[in-house]
Amino acid sequence: MSDAHSGAQASPGTRSRPGAHPRHGLDEVIHAPVRFSIVATLAAADKAEFAFVRDTVEVSDSVLSRQVATLEKAGYVAVTKGYVGKRPRTWLALTEDGRAAFTAHCRSLRAIAGEDGRGDG
Amino acid sequence: MSEYASKDAAAALARARELGSTVRNGSKWSVRYQVAYGCAAAVSMLAIGLLSHPYNVAFGIGFWILALTGLSVYAARQPVARRGFTRWNNGLIMAWALLFFAVLFPGITWFRGVEAWWVPGAMLVALPGLIGGYLEARR
Repeated sequence: MSDAHSGAQASPGTRSRPGAHPRHGLDEVIHAPVRFSIVATLAAADKAEFAFVRDTVEVSDSVLSRQVATLEKAGYVAVTKGYVGKRPRTWLALTEDGRAAFTAHCRSLRAIAGEDGRGDG
Repeated sequence: MSEYASKDAAAALARARELGSTVRNGSKWSVRYQVAYGCAAAVSMLAIGLLSHPYNVAFGIGFWILALTGLSVYAARQPVARRGFTRWNNGLIMAWALLFFAVLFPGITWFRGVEAWWVPGAMLVALPGLIGGYLEARR
């Protein structure tokens, strides 16, 4: 998946604008394709290892690091570092704010797609 | 433009569902974890109830500590845990603890070495893990 929008929309704090159209409910931090995939992956998990997210989203280490830093700065993702045996591991998890933002973002996507009656993404 | 946006939103939602499915598949280790937990709880309970003193305490408690250590290491090494697993696991441990003590105290007081008490008791303490594994597999 490309990350064409990430540079233009990495501005935490200006996430949604009021308006009648459901697109105004889209979260600008989450809207970028790679970040959306990262958040969607973490939304289904209590926590996930960095490598698992990298392989699932199909990006490089550096791209994932950059996007996770943006999400962390927005308060959407918590990063925990630790060891399993002697191997260093990095764990990623959605914060409560991140989960709420993703739920609202998906609600807006469903409204745009005309899937309002279907289950949560 | 609006038609494009609609398709785009539908594609994003489909991608989110696909990623959620990948996470759930990656969390299937918790089935093995919970079934192993249930089996280990049963073996430990049988050892405590049916072996003679002091082997019952040595083997029963020793085996349980080894099993818990192994399961904890196994869980810690997994790359992903599905949403809600931590809470679910805490519930599993609490259910096991309640059943364990509900079987243990009457057992050591009135039913030392009585198979008719300890075998059903062992099956009872295995239930949280076995039921949890079954429900996890059905997700």
